Amino acid sequence: MKMADGSTILRRNRPGTKSKDFCRWPDEPLEEMDSTLAVQQYIQQLIKRDPSNVELILTMPEAQDEGVWKYEHLRQFCMELNGLAVRLQKECSPSTCTQMTATDQWIFLCAAHKTPKECPAIDYTRHTLDGAACLLNSNKYFPSRVSIKESSVTKLGSVCRRVYRIFSHAYFHHRRIFDEFEAETYLCHRFTHFVTKYNLMSKENLIVPINVGENAAPGESEA
Amino acid sequence: MMLTSINNSFEQDTHDADANCDGPDLDFVYSDVDGYQNEIAELYSYTEFSEFQMNVKAFEDQMELYDLPPNWQKQDSASQRGIVMKLVDQLEVSDRSFRMQAARCILYLAQGCWAEVQSDEEQHQITRDNVLVLYQLGVFASFIDLLNMEIESACSPDIVAVKITNVTLVDSTDIRVILSVLYIITETIRDERERGSEDYRELADSFVQEINSPLPDGELLAVKLLGMITRFCSGAAPQFPMKKVVLLLWKVSLLGLGGMDVLKNLKNEYRLKVGLEPITEDTLEVTKCMRASSPPATATDILENQYPKRNFKRSLMKQRFLDEPEQIDMEMGGNDGQTNANNGSGNGGNGEEELSQYYRPYDDPSSSASTTSTANPNNQPSLTQPPAAVPPVQITARLPWTPKVRQKDIDQFLDISRNKFIGYSLIGDHESLAGLPQPIHEGFKTLQRHMYMSLADVQIKKEEDIARNPISTHEDEIKLTPAEVLYQAILPNLPQYMIALLKVLLAASPTSKSKTESINIMADVLPRKMPLTATQSTKLTVDIGRHKEIIVKAVSAIILLYLKHFKINHVYQFEFMSQHLVFANCIPLVLKFFNQTITEYVNTKNSIPLLDFPSCVIGEQPDLSGDSFVYGGEMSDKSYSWRNVFSCINLLRILNKLIKWKHSRVMMLVVFKSAPILKKTLKVRHAMMQLYVLKLLKMQTKYLGRQWRKSNMKTMSAIYAKVRHRLNDDWAFGNDLESRPWDFQAEECTLRACVDRFNLRRYPEATQKCGNNGTAAQNAENAQQSNMMAGNNGCGNNGDANGYGNNGGGANGGHNQQQQLNDYGVEGGFPSDEILTHSDFAFFGHSGWWDRKVELTDYFKANYAVWLEEEVYNSQTDWDAL
Repeated sequence: MKMADGSTILRRNRPGTKSKDFCRWPDEPLEEMDSTLAVQQYIQQLIKRDPSNVELILTMPEAQDEGVWKYEHLRQFCMELNGLAVRLQKECSPSTCTQMTATDQWIFLCAAHKTPKECPAIDYTRHTLDGAACLLNSNKYFPSRVSIKESSVTKLGSVCRRVYRIFSHAYFHHRRIFDEFEAETYLCHRFTHFVTKYNLMSKENLIVPINVGENAAPGESEA
Repeated sequence: MMLTSINNSFEQDTHDADANCDGPDLDFVYSDVDGYQNEIAELYSYTEFSEFQMNVKAFEDQMELYDLPPNWQKQDSASQRGIVMKLVDQLEVSDRSFRMQAARCILYLAQGCWAEVQSDEEQHQITRDNVLVLYQLGVFASFIDLLNMEIESACSPDIVAVKITNVTLVDSTDIRVILSVLYIITETIRDERERGSEDYRELADSFVQEINSPLPDGELLAVKLLGMITRFCSGAAPQFPMKKVVLLLWKVSLLGLGGMDVLKNLKNEYRLKVGLEPITEDTLEVTKCMRASSPPATATDILENQYPKRNFKRSLMKQRFLDEPEQIDMEMGGNDGQTNANNGSGNGGNGEEELSQYYRPYDDPSSSASTTSTANPNNQPSLTQPPAAVPPVQITARLPWTPKVRQKDIDQFLDISRNKFIGYSLIGDHESLAGLPQPIHEGFKTLQRHMYMSLADVQIKKEEDIARNPISTHEDEIKLTPAEVLYQAILPNLPQYMIALLKVLLAASPTSKSKTESINIMADVLPRKMPLTATQSTKLTVDIGRHKEIIVKAVSAIILLYLKHFKINHVYQFEFMSQHLVFANCIPLVLKFFNQTITEYVNTKNSIPLLDFPSCVIGEQPDLSGDSFVYGGEMSDKSYSWRNVFSCINLLRILNKLIKWKHSRVMMLVVFKSAPILKKTLKVRHAMMQLYVLKLLKMQTKYLGRQWRKSNMKTMSAIYAKVRHRLNDDWAFGNDLESRPWDFQAEECTLRACVDRFNLRRYPEATQKCGNNGTAAQNAENAQQSNMMAGNNGCGNNGDANGYGNNGGGANGGHNQQQQLNDYGVEGGFPSDEILTHSDFAFFGHSGWWDRKVELTDYFKANYAVWLEEEVYNSQTDWDAL
């Protein structure tokens, strides 16, 4: 709020900004946002205001391109997931979790390589997030953030599918970290809603129980 | 004189022309692909039959796992999508069998859930619905990942240990599932796009975009597949199912680059861009209105075979020719009144008049040019008028093609005239007629009216300009067309790819005899247990024949497609590819392919319709034990095999593309004694196929000698009637053999230098990589080996080719020709079956001097100034004395 004193509000985190002041600038209605990054800014603003209000965050403003909306949300998920990855690093190492598993049934391959291969869970996490960042920032598939080709929108599904496994691994193997993180960010909650809403993943694959809605089924129902 | 005699004999025999026909013309219509159903059916070999059940089993198991009834159609679309998403998830599981179960399940969906339907139409409908969903949910990309994994695991040493000849169907089970899914998706999208299906439009566009841009690992899909073929040919991955790989490569390329329509439009677009008139004649359209010529008489064939012995009976033979029943029924000599009238007038006059008769319709090309319109793409009023749908095609009394002439020919004409009348030449002047008499003016005008400037001419000119003025010449930005992208991607390894494609083609051609091939393309058709019963082995024989035919079909289509696209994209890209094809012995290989009973090949029925997918799994199952089902399918409505005619035409077109305007390569046709082979090919009664054969014959007629021409007047007439005329081209009677010495190496090297300059300028990095692949030392060594090998090659056509080798008359001494044969490394006809490997080029091109790096010694580097002084500046050459 202090930064809002001037006539123009600079929505920047200047060097030396205290952590409590981080990103603390007043909300701005979407219509007034005058930049190509408006959608991202808008989403971040909603999250900042109340991360638990998943419904609101995912409510698409009118006249918004759905492709862009999905894309920006996925970008945001990947950015925030880095927070989870950092926490996981403390506990999840190639020696403790040698494979990427959720429940013990399946081992997943890491698709970030030229030929998919078995990576330890933490490596899977890092590779997948890097790969997702690469894809989402690639000039080839996503040259613009204002409109998105239909062919690129289909790429989002596979990113979701791969990224989701990070949640499920954290949930089933590092429950404490997951719970802490979830309590702060509601990220998995939001993600589950997101993929369900836009039909990006099959419900049965969403194995992390979410305490609201119909997805609260225990992990065993997956197949 | 000749013309009158043709005409006379012709006149005599028109009445019994039809009676002598072997049969009706083939109603084959050349197009990019066969019908969708056939293209899909050809994906599977009959030995794969049992695997269909595995797919449905996988589906049932999977559905059980999901607690759903094993019926796809009972699921609503949301649930279907859910299932696919779960399956895709499962594709990323590390447990192989679990992963492949999902893959099989998806294959079953792509196959249209055939276990649930009653008819082919239903199955097709479900396939197209499912492909839509599958592609939208990223299945294609996931399967590329799976393919990558299979390629990778093929490299692991434990698999390579399998002996090549022992590889069977079971070794490629998984990879075949993956390729099948990719193929079905590609082919279905291609087909729906062709039909213009509304619901597929967006998806098809994005799919085309996807296959024209590199995969996430930076490789084009086409290049990945070419890489698979290369690896297969090197023996490193004998289990790769080649048929499926080449089929997929073909369809991916076809969809990515575009078929005939796209080519035609692109060509005209490019021509307009550089200021040329659009093309008005479409070969395909024109040939549709042509009638096939009757095959040459058997009597002539016999005559030819005996010819060497009968050399002394020349006069006798001539007599005989005139009496022989004439069988040609060309357009100009058909049976309708118009033509008869025409013949009548021709008969009254002499050959000259006859000629003018044929030319007259084209004397005023401006009229044809003025009618150019997009609505009438083939723009030949005379040719489009006959309703193509009503057989027999109405026959017009004119030649099917507008004659053409090149700038070069006009220059030559002017040069000769100037030398004759004014006594000196004006180099570089294409126009001034000063001092020349009126008839020359007229001749010049006629030539100019028919002048045709090809896209290649413009591109070559541009390259020359750039080479001369590299800084001041402005080159347009290189547009990244699909062909350009493909070229850049394959440039570094293009020679290897060409060799690999040809190796597969060779292994699949029916005339290939070598059993101990380094590659075994049968791996994906042979079951582990050899059949025991007679029926089973008949089935397997048919299957193997079919398998080979399909491979030939796909490979020939790929090569032709690439050549055509590169040609319009940039002629030097085309030249680069074609030169590598020539170096890898493509010309003799194709000739060898035609050195079989081609009519038989065209009519071969290597198929059992009852066993084709989907008939083999839908409805009542045929009795698989009896003999009947093998032959039951022979009652097909077509008298020819679509894929074989298609392959033949492709190969002929490839040959034409490689050889056209290349003197030294035309000589290869002569040296390899192609004439009798090509003549046999004329027996296939299909106008388009004959046209391409006639073109090949026309190129070499000059060099075949008077005797050949004398005894093949019917073929000559057919050429006259069907192939485009080049004004001033004395193809039929010219004997300029002495005046044009031919030096294969020099000509190829000059071309190579131009191509290299082009490649180096436009793609410096890729070219370097390409050059480093074969070192000069290796080249030299291989050259020797090749020369040794070439000595002992067998020749398949000695029997009927004898008449040609030396009948060039006095013009071309036998000794001289023998020398030339040795230059090619052949003594008795074809070189051995060897496809030359990359380093073997040396054999064709002066030990590969173009990529040899000159190593200068340190001593020389230190003292080069002295050398320069002594050897260059101080040495006096008396140029006048030379």
